Formats: sequence, C-alpha cells, structure tokens
Amino acid sequence: MTYFARFYHPRLASGSRVAPPSLDLRVSPAATGRGFADGRVLLHDVTVRYGRRIALEAVSGEFAAGSLTAVVGANGAGKSTLLAAIAGVVRLAGGVVQRAARQQLAYLPQLAAIDLDYPLTVSELITLGGWREFGPFRSPGTVLRARVAEVSEMVGLAGRLGRRIGELSVGELQRALFARLILQDAAVILLDEPFAAIDAQTISVLLDWVAQWHREGRTVIAVLHDLDLVRARFPSTVVLARRCVAWGATEAALSVMAA
Amino acid sequence: MMSAHALIVEPFETLAFMRAALVAFLALALTNGVIGTLLVLRRMSLDGDVLGHAVMPGAAIGFLYAGPSPAWLSLGGLASGFAVAALARLITGERARHDAGLVAFYLVALSLGVVLVAWRGSNVDVMRVLFGTVLAIDRRALVQIAVVSSVIVLVVAALYRPLAVGAFDPAFLRAVGARAPYEAVFLALVVLALVASFQAFGTLLAVGPMLLPAAAARCWGLGVAASMALATGFGLAASVAGLLLSYHGNLPSGPAIVLAAGLLFGISAAATNSWRRLAPMIGRDA
Repeated sequence: MTYFARFYHPRLASGSRVAPPSLDLRVSPAATGRGFADGRVLLHDVTVRYGRRIALEAVSGEFAAGSLTAVVGANGAGKSTLLAAIAGVVRLAGGVVQRAARQQLAYLPQLAAIDLDYPLTVSELITLGGWREFGPFRSPGTVLRARVAEVSEMVGLAGRLGRRIGELSVGELQRALFARLILQDAAVILLDEPFAAIDAQTISVLLDWVAQWHREGRTVIAVLHDLDLVRARFPSTVVLARRCVAWGATEAALSVMAA
Repeated sequence: MMSAHALIVEPFETLAFMRAALVAFLALALTNGVIGTLLVLRRMSLDGDVLGHAVMPGAAIGFLYAGPSPAWLSLGGLASGFAVAALARLITGERARHDAGLVAFYLVALSLGVVLVAWRGSNVDVMRVLFGTVLAIDRRALVQIAVVSSVIVLVVAALYRPLAVGAFDPAFLRAVGARAPYEAVFLALVVLALVASFQAFGTLLAVGPMLLPAAAARCWGLGVAASMALATGFGLAASVAGLLLSYHGNLPSGPAIVLAAGLLFGISAAATNSWRRLAPMIGRDA
C-alpha cells in the first residue's frame, strides 16, 4: 500500500492529494503564487484551455525539491502544456502553480518552437543563459563571456561558437540549448522533449547533464516519449491523459499506464 | 544625351519639393529598414500588410472631418491602425492565426476607406489616399516624419534585445520573466512607421518600402543589425532611383520607388541563389 501511497488517481481521489495551499490564490488564477525558496513545484487543480479545447484538466501534485521526474503520455495528452504552465508561459484557466521565482527557473521549449532561420550565432544563443545577470537592457559582462566559452566546451561545442544556429545539426543545437540551461543555473529545470530526433551520442551527453543536475539537487521535470529511457534514468513519473492518470515511482506509474 | 549632373543632381538642386521628398525618404528608409527587418525576421509580413491597409478607414474619417490635411489623415490612420493591431492581438491571442481572416479584414478595411473618401471627395483624393504623393510632403509633414522616425529608431534601440529574442524564441523571453508587452510595443511601432510612410506612399503601398528592402537585405544572410543597415541602404537607393525615375518619366513617385525596391529584391534573391549553387562548384563555402 505504501507503494501506491504516492499515487494520485483522479477517479479514486476526488479531492486533491496535496493539501490546498493555506493562502487562497485563486483570486488571480494566472498567478504563480508565492515563490518557494527551493526547487519545490506544487500544482493545485491546474487547468489550461486553448480556445474551447481543454489541454490540461485539474492536475494536482507535487514535485519535491531535487526530484527527477519524467512526464509521459500520448500526443495531445497535455505534457508540453504542463511544462508551459509551470514555466508560466501559458495562462491558467484555473488552479494555482506554486514554485520558485522566475529567476530560479529554466525552460527548454521544443526545438520546433525555435526559429532556426533567425540570424543568431551559437555564442549569442548560449549567452542568453545569463539573462538574469544582464536583463533586457545591459550587455553581457566579460565574466559571462568567459563562462559561455567554458560551458560550450563542456557540451562539446567548442569551435562552433561563431556559427549560425541554422548551420548546426539538431544534436548540436540541443547541446547549445543545454549550455544555455547550464548558464541559467536554475533550481527548477523544465525540459520539453529534450531527446526527440537527437543522435545517440548527444543523448548520452545530455543525459549525463540531467544526472548532474539531479546530483546538484535541482528539480528536473522532462517530457519524454522513450519509456525505456524513463525506466532507466528517471526515478519518478507523471502519466498524463489531459488529466493526471498516475504520479509516483516510475515502475508503478508506468504500470498504471499499461493497464 | 543628358549629363550625369542633369540626370541625378539637378532635379534636387532646382526643385524644393524634390529636396523635401529626398529628406523624407531618407528618414523613412531608416525606420523602414529597422522595422521591416524585424517584421521579416518575425515572419509577420502579412500582418504588416494588413496593418498598412488598416490605416485606411481612419485616414478616410480624418479626411471626411478635415479634408486632405496631413495631420488629420495621420491621426485618423494612427487611431484605426492601433485599433486593428489591438483587435488582431486579441483574436490571435485566443487561437491559432488565421490568414484568411486577416486577408478578409484588409479587403474590407481598404474598401471601406475608399468608399468613405469617394463619398465626399474626388477621384484625385482617392488616388492620393491610396498611392500617396511626394507633393504632400511640405515642411510640416517633413517634421512629422522626422519626429516619428526618430522615436521609432530610439525605441527599437532601447528594446533591441527583447525584440530580437522574442522573434526567435518567445517562450524563453516569457520564461525569464520579461513581462513587458514587447509584442504590443512592436505592433505599435509598425503602425507608427506605416502612418509616417502613408503620406508619401499611400495606404496601398506604405508596406512596400518597409518589406521589400528588408526582404532583399535578408537574402544576404547577415546578422540582425547588419541586415537593418543593408535594408536602410537598399531603401535609400530605391528612394533616390524611384524619385529620379518619377521626375524624368513623369511617373507617380510611390510606385516608382516600390518598383525600384522590388528590383533590388529580385537581384538580391537571384544573386544569392545562384551563389549558393555556384559556390560548391568552385570549391567555396556557400
């Protein structure tokens, strides 16, 4: 039973598994609540609509600080929407997301969301990871520039800094975006399909980074399709089908999905 | 045979309105280069077109109210341009974008404007609102264009990074907490630039000198700032060539300038395309 205690199943539990936040934040549904100091992410009845279509319905649960969680489900199950809701880039139709302040959050959108024709160099792309430091108006300092060179080497992109992002392979581009995440140095890291259409060698490099972030105590939440990969590397899993189907230890959660 | 001096310099030397037009087009080439490049990079060319026509009904109402006064035409155009930009944002914010709706909208806006102007004015007034005229650029219009252009360039300079980042990775911009409505600011700048252009080019063509030089510059695969500079250069060259063409050939100036810009776009596209094919054959990087 303890095995299933971490489960959340909407049909079994009519209420919320987590205690509702003491502060009623529903007056402003789009609000992200008071920021946590650590990497905890708390969802309470999170609902997102695109027009009339409901993408995500009444999802509640908690990502513990320092947890490493996969989000799985069929296409259109609301996986990307869940990450976007946590990142605060979509408007919530209802519910509350509580998490660290934006400065402590790093979000990797799907590759398709990035315009590769844009005339930007790899170096400029990675440097954006220091946004918290320079913001929209100031220019990046010399310390940051040195960090960019260092980080690009760590992901295996040294010598590619001057290239346009459109000239990179998909794998290289994802490495560059991971370098940007590394620079962001965030407590909560959200990855939307980080390994889709990526070569095996790059995947192993990027997975090492995910493991590294986990060791460093950051909260990592990743949308994934490869269930073998999820079983091998992700301790906990959320199964979505517009609603939350299962949330807990990976094996148990995936067995609910299969049933 | 005309000397180069008579061909190129004399028209500007002898005629005050040609000089005024030249200065106005210089300012417009600068804003259009900057705004047009951002429009092209954001893949918002169609939105630019729609906004260009959205200026029309407001300008027409300004015309009904005060006759062909530049200030009232601009004010009306500005009002309806902003209204449409806000409306478009409201609609596209709710669901995926809707090209057919945008096109339907600009046809209606254009027709409404023409009907309103023709109702009280003459055919000359209709032509003027549709295609503009260099003769409309008097001292006051010149000052107006110069001020609007300066404001636009300064605002883009100040908001350059968020505008550039929002163009290629909008989710990142929102996720790092850039809360200011940069999208809305940008649309407002587009409307401002279109209204500044509209005296000289009319509502039909105002978007031409904005998009064509920028699209031509984009062919050359430069960075954002360099693209803006090249687009400005192209815009300037097209303006001078078009003005001279219209002077010597007794042709309408707006269409002549847009044609010259179109020619530059054609040359740019053809040249960069054939270079891309040729480069591997002679062992160079494309």
